[in-house]
Amino acid sequence: MTPLLELRGLTRSYGSLTAVDGVDLTIPRGERHALIGPNGAGKSTLFATVAGTLRASGGSVLLSGQDITSLPEADRARRGMVRTYQHSSLFLDCSVLDNVALAVQRVHRVAHRFDRAARRFRHTEAEARRHLDSAGLSGRTGDKVSALSHGERRQLEVAMVLATEPSLVMFDEPTAGMSAAETERFVALMERLPEDLTVLIVEHDLDVVFRLADRVTVLHLGRVLASGPPAAIRTDEAVQRAYLGSARTEDLFAEAEAGIEAEAEAEAGTEAEAGTEAGTGGPR
Amino acid sequence: MRAETEKEKEQEKEQEQEKDTVTVHGGTPAPPDPAPVVEAPDSAATAGADRPHRRRAAVVVAVVALLTAAPLVLSPYPVSAMTRMLAFAVLVIGVDLLTGVTGLPSLGQAAYFGVGAYTAVLVGVHITPDAMVQALAGLVMGLVAAAVTGWVAVRARGIVFLMLTLAIGESVHQVADTWSAVGGSNGLAGMPPVTLFGGPALLAAGFVYWWVLVVAALVFAAVALVVRSPYGRTLRGIRDNEARMRALGYRPALARYGVFCLAGAVAGVGGALWAQQARFFSPGDMGFEVAALALLSVVIGGAGSLWGPCLGAALVLFVRDNLSASIGGHGPLVLGAVFVAVVFLMPRGLAGLTGGRLRELAGARRRKENSS
Repeated sequence: MTPLLELRGLTRSYGSLTAVDGVDLTIPRGERHALIGPNGAGKSTLFATVAGTLRASGGSVLLSGQDITSLPEADRARRGMVRTYQHSSLFLDCSVLDNVALAVQRVHRVAHRFDRAARRFRHTEAEARRHLDSAGLSGRTGDKVSALSHGERRQLEVAMVLATEPSLVMFDEPTAGMSAAETERFVALMERLPEDLTVLIVEHDLDVVFRLADRVTVLHLGRVLASGPPAAIRTDEAVQRAYLGSARTEDLFAEAEAGIEAEAEAEAGTEAEAGTEAGTGGPR
Repeated sequence: MRAETEKEKEQEKEQEQEKDTVTVHGGTPAPPDPAPVVEAPDSAATAGADRPHRRRAAVVVAVVALLTAAPLVLSPYPVSAMTRMLAFAVLVIGVDLLTGVTGLPSLGQAAYFGVGAYTAVLVGVHITPDAMVQALAGLVMGLVAAAVTGWVAVRARGIVFLMLTLAIGESVHQVADTWSAVGGSNGLAGMPPVTLFGGPALLAAGFVYWWVLVVAALVFAAVALVVRSPYGRTLRGIRDNEARMRALGYRPALARYGVFCLAGAVAGVGGALWAQQARFFSPGDMGFEVAALALLSVVIGGAGSLWGPCLGAALVLFVRDNLSASIGGHGPLVLGAVFVAVVFLMPRGLAGLTGGRLRELAGARRRKENSS
């Protein structure tokens, strides 16, 4: 069976800097695939290149075996590949219902009809309400999006994305900036997603990643460091070194413990990589 | 005299809305009744949606009745001034469709207004005095002109779009000013009075007014339908977040081009109506000033609402044509002051004074009902 999404040597460079460097990745239908990696690993660039927001400098993206590398974002969305944004990207001055209905009416091919009022397209309206129901927003259909909380906006994004009837949904750090309760609600929502839906998720919160993902790919300096089931990734030594337990996370804090720093210095290879990585962080 | 009716109209509307507000307040103590407790949020919502609907219908009937009755009580001069306002309001509706609904502020609509007007005069002089044929010809030519020039403009957004439409407007104005076939800077005169259904010429100002009123109401209804339709939703989506539209699989450029043509057609009808009333058209009626006043009407009335900009159009023309003479030609000063006042005091324009606040109240009430 052809995998739903396949990346072959996908490369994206900014000038002389290669943010994504020859990434090969295969995601079968129905898989929950998580993409993790330290800051500056190229996750967001890879994500945007797959979604079509950025153009690839090399390699190819295949959706259900078809090469879509040269297609613009809108055409990829029409083929069932949709993304969410790191910061909620919604139609703030429209009602909650309108937001989801915009997705539904495109799928139903009535987006350019003006012979009847929108609410007379009963099929479209009912479908939009159903999606809002399943995202837990049925009480707020008439409200403007600008009146929603951060967590509710995230729920609305999920409803909107599912309303396009996608085969692949790509979430870009969906739980960023959420409270613990909001994250919990969001993960529950993700767990309820239909079985046959393929999900690619970029996420910083490793608890969320290990709960949701069937398979995890670790990106480091634009390359795939490891790819496998969560349990294997947790114990993978290279990953440990590059990401999970080494100096990388502690680097974020100014007052890192001296002992750990010494340990990190002992690992010369990692240290050399860290130098390049500081450069990779720039364009993100 | 005419100003009074205008004021009456507004007062009428305000009174209607006041009544509505009262109903909203009056409805609030209702929840203690046994019914709402059992009521599902769904049925509460439909009941809430039904009431504003009836309310709106009452307002529409009252306004239409008042507008229809105007020639019966007013003398010809104010009636012809109101005719001009209606024709201008049609242009403004088109500008609002672009600016308020789609988020494309345009300064080029006067060009299509002019194209429609010249078409109507030429049809009137050379072909037929039939008002319907002229209006249709104006519509078609406005549409064609917008279709020919629009594809350049819709590639841009924001300020660049504004500048491109300004360039289109000025170019067309320049052509009208120099082209002898349309009378150059002297304009086109000698248009015979219009007829309807092959009947006698509509010489009385009242009859022309009624004809213009009917067409303006039709245009208003048509644009209102577009705004409520799925296409209107698409346009609002483009206004709010075009990148997201693309991510949902839309091709926004196509929808933008469509609405530009639509707005051109609406402006063409407005121009035809204007010409039929004045029976004369010159480049001065389609210059930058007209385009700017149309945009100003939208801002004053409240972009995105439809009746607000129509009121704005009436106000702007009233100040320019009527009030200006009695205050020593300082009309533009008054308009400027009104503009500044609107921007600072009511960012949603005239429409925000009533509709918005009303909706807020209704929304708050609905939420309260749902949570209880």
